[in-house]
Amino acid sequence: MNAPDRYERFVVPEGTKKVSYERDTKIINAASFTIEREDHTIGNIVRMQLHRDGNVLFAGYKLPHPLQYKIIVRVHTTSQSSPMQAYNLAINDLDKELDHLKAVFEAEVARVSGEY
Amino acid sequence: MDGASYQRFPKVKIRELKDDYVKFELRETDASMANALRRVMIAEVPTIAIDLVEIEVNSSVLNDEFIAHRLGLIPLTSERAMSMRFSRDCDACDGDGQCEFCSVEFHLRAKCINDQTLDVTSKDLYSSDHTVVPVDFSDPGSGFENPEDQRGITIVKLRKGQELRLRAIARKGIGKDHAKWSPAATVTFMYEPEIHINEEMMETLSLEEKTSVVESSPTKVFALNPQTQQVEVVDPEAYTYDDEVLKKVEAMGKPGLIEIYAKEDSFIFTVESTGAVKASQLVINAIDVLKQKLDAVRLLEDTVEADDQFGELGAHMRGG
Repeated sequence: MNAPDRYERFVVPEGTKKVSYERDTKIINAASFTIEREDHTIGNIVRMQLHRDGNVLFAGYKLPHPLQYKIIVRVHTTSQSSPMQAYNLAINDLDKELDHLKAVFEAEVARVSGEY
Repeated sequence: MDGASYQRFPKVKIRELKDDYVKFELRETDASMANALRRVMIAEVPTIAIDLVEIEVNSSVLNDEFIAHRLGLIPLTSERAMSMRFSRDCDACDGDGQCEFCSVEFHLRAKCINDQTLDVTSKDLYSSDHTVVPVDFSDPGSGFENPEDQRGITIVKLRKGQELRLRAIARKGIGKDHAKWSPAATVTFMYEPEIHINEEMMETLSLEEKTSVVESSPTKVFALNPQTQQVEVVDPEAYTYDDEVLKKVEAMGKPGLIEIYAKEDSFIFTVESTGAVKASQLVINAIDVLKQKLDAVRLLEDTVEADDQFGELGAHMRGG
């Protein structure tokens, strides 16, 4: 009766931004990113990549409620960097890693099927 | 800004490659990437499936919505899916989502005329686009042995006089919306195990003790070499991370005899496709979809200006 429609899991409604950003007033160099209509697939991978950054002191994500389809990623950095920089760097690095993975996989498929 | 990159460089080695099955090793990346790929393969790689059914005549024993549900679950060859548009995003059609760019039309006409039961199968579905057809499961090599397998997926069976006539529209969708759009039959990954046998301690065991260690594992991981009387690892990947061997070894009073670790950055993926997309193509599409998702999640340009409160300059401006 109260269940949301299935397409709510991935369709961002009109007027809502996909990613929004909130600085933490009490801690310097800390911010939360609220990403609409995403789940653990993106949350976990961004969080683990943020952990690899030396300037990141804290990185975590949560789903506030399983029926509300959004994630909140919280980042604290040192003063050498900023949460936004860290987040952008993490996304860029993941993008490059996926490019590399795709190239390696395609080369391997070509190699294996070429052997037949 | 500072050119630092914390990128990883994963390695892939394919073990087995068939049309609908691929088994490969993924190394030097971490579990979040492996899990993200698994989740995307199951739920977010787009395929094409029947989504709207208009029934003209149905005098079969199954009711209309039952047949429509079954039609939706039939896998359709979806090579076009990655380049197609979602019906909701299509601006070419007048809003009803049935134009040639965003959908594929099917029709089915079956009537049972003779006394024998007529099997209406997925082979009776005729498509308007020859690249999007119900998946053909028949094995090309064994066509003469098993004529039963060649008939396709049974939709409904008709008695003499019963008729089924319908028109169906297939659209692009993702598994997250409804499982009929999932291109994956199963996608699994396991951590590659690293098994160490302490040879010195193994020398102190009698033959019965060695046999009991080998047999304590529910799967055939170890075997006793008949010539050398040593316990050897026969198939490390048959290990299912049950700790039976470790418990047995401790119960025997010899902990440390066998040590098994899971390598944290080495995964063995098994991908089985429904036939809608080839298994290797499924993995490649999953990587593309994951890249698209990451792109959608980037910060927009206008949020960067608000950032000058952070970092060294911000701290300096605040007098820190």
